[in-house]
Amino acid sequence: MDKLFVIAIGGTGMRCLESFTHLSAIGMFDNQEIELLTLDTDQTNGNKGRVEELIRLYNRIKTSGDAEGGTPNANTFFSAKLNLHRYYTNYSATGRENYKNISKLSTGSPEEQKSNKLISDLFLDNSSVQEFNLAHGYRAQTHLGSMLMYHGIVEAARNIVKGADVQPQERELDQFVSKLEKAGANARVFIFGSIFGGTGASSIPVIPKALQDFVKIRSGGTSTIDFTKAKFGSTLLTEYFTFKKPDDKQKSGKENSVIADASFFPLNSQAALQFYQSDPTVQKSYKILYHIGWPIDSKSVDEENSGHQTITGGANQKNPCHITELLCACAAYDFFTRQNGFDGVKAEYLYKAVEFNNNSFNFTFNDFVGNVNKAGEIFANRLGAFFSLAHISLTINGNDGIKGFITRCQKQKLPQYADISDEECTDINDYFRLFAYSFHNDRFMPGWLYQIRNTVAPGTFMFDSKAFPDTAPELKKIDIGALFLDEKNHWSKGGIFSNRYDNFIEKLIESSSNDNQKVNTTKEKFLAHIYNAITVSQNFNLN
Amino acid sequence: MEAYIISLGTAIIFLLIAALIANTIKYEGGSNPTDPKRRKTWFWLLAVLNPVVIFLLGYYVFMPDENIMVVNKYVAALSIGTAIGFVVYIILGFILSKMFRNGKVGNWF
Repeated sequence: MDKLFVIAIGGTGMRCLESFTHLSAIGMFDNQEIELLTLDTDQTNGNKGRVEELIRLYNRIKTSGDAEGGTPNANTFFSAKLNLHRYYTNYSATGRENYKNISKLSTGSPEEQKSNKLISDLFLDNSSVQEFNLAHGYRAQTHLGSMLMYHGIVEAARNIVKGADVQPQERELDQFVSKLEKAGANARVFIFGSIFGGTGASSIPVIPKALQDFVKIRSGGTSTIDFTKAKFGSTLLTEYFTFKKPDDKQKSGKENSVIADASFFPLNSQAALQFYQSDPTVQKSYKILYHIGWPIDSKSVDEENSGHQTITGGANQKNPCHITELLCACAAYDFFTRQNGFDGVKAEYLYKAVEFNNNSFNFTFNDFVGNVNKAGEIFANRLGAFFSLAHISLTINGNDGIKGFITRCQKQKLPQYADISDEECTDINDYFRLFAYSFHNDRFMPGWLYQIRNTVAPGTFMFDSKAFPDTAPELKKIDIGALFLDEKNHWSKGGIFSNRYDNFIEKLIESSSNDNQKVNTTKEKFLAHIYNAITVSQNFNLN
Repeated sequence: MEAYIISLGTAIIFLLIAALIANTIKYEGGSNPTDPKRRKTWFWLLAVLNPVVIFLLGYYVFMPDENIMVVNKYVAALSIGTAIGFVVYIILGFILSKMFRNGKVGNWF
């Protein structure tokens, strides 16, 4: 079994990782321990902070006692073990704020300074590109970004070799790369990022090479990453969102002289695709590249931004999730589970299409993960089960959330889960709030799945539209056992004196966790027990 | 003999009614589901009604039309049968509750 690695780069990469984490939570990566690396120039980026908090929450749910992050399980929620590593190129320290400072153009002999300036001016605009503040990323200046991201990673390797002033993020990068190096030919590395923006677009072409050079430098030339054996894959994610055009006032300062302009995203995408089609480094270092795009009008992410300025990055950059990001996560699923396609000497390009009718998309489960080995049915069962559980915890059980199941089990003389603490239940409830929805001061806040669905509505999105109520009165009326479009997957209504929920609790009482789920702790057994009861209720043909 | 048959028969019928009611009460969600308490309440309500019904049935419906000696014997047997019916209801209820301890009748005890 190959060892799995995920690298998320830039704001879009972070949101793809968010979707990937939710896929892990619903149980799509059984028996896997996955190494995750978040890579950004912007340590304070809101999307980065959000996904890192999500992964920390995931790991708290997996953790029992001293076993931090838990162990891999199968056929249950939170089955994969996720190990988070964080790296960012430090552009906040003095002398590292912009290209001019970081490349030390004004040091060395006068002759060297002259040569350095000439070559810099040849590729990078002197007054804008060389001087904008790098703390919020590369601002769609990919020619600069590729060079600086490569530089950042190589610089980290050199610092580690020197052993002096090694930054914490450089140590985390080192841990990640060490595991990658150790996995050797058994490594499968999937990279999330956009090709139309700044940081992701800059980094995707150079990351395999940068990691290879990192290994070479750190090992003193005795080790490397062999691209003919290690399997690298990535998404070629073209533009799917837009935002306000920066005005002249915002661009008047030197540090904001360059701001990514969303109106150029289609052009950036087109140029990037031409590059990916012909660049020999990309062709050699990647095995599979997944074309993912949004062929209709891009949605503006500024609806929540009441200010007049373009958000260039920082804590305020918390864009809502989009279905293309889920598709990227599903591309990673395909890359990690496929048995072939890694033997070619050049990158293979993959894509698929989705039904488009009456000006909207209609997604089925098979559109996300295909249906090889019943992957579509498995995906539907697990996503549906997790969504049902989220609704039961948040909607039916109210403030008690997941604790309600423990109470129910106790009342039915199943006391084995009484050890699960209130704090552990709170973590699971918090995860459901991020996954489905929450209320802040009586205001409905859509979570990940609701946000994804909003990007497709009014088109169909796997579940019945009634599965997504967004007001408290409508939520009270929801039929938890009838979330799917297909009635055959609705929970049984039972007899005259029963209903779907009553029937589900009967199944919960009758079922339990089993050995092939590889669950050890009380919490793992509890989640596996609920997973089994919902799976039986949903009637998918999984065998 | 008739009094004892009435007692046992009524106790079993009441037990079946209690089981039926327990199964018609649906499992509830929420932080404080009341369904287990409702099943228990119905069980004990029927436990109280059971001897009353046994005695009233025996006294007004099945009273033998015989001499006072026979009637006195019957009433004495009916009183003992009522007590036995109550005990049988409780014991059978307890056994059923333990047999199906995770099910709805498990909420009785």
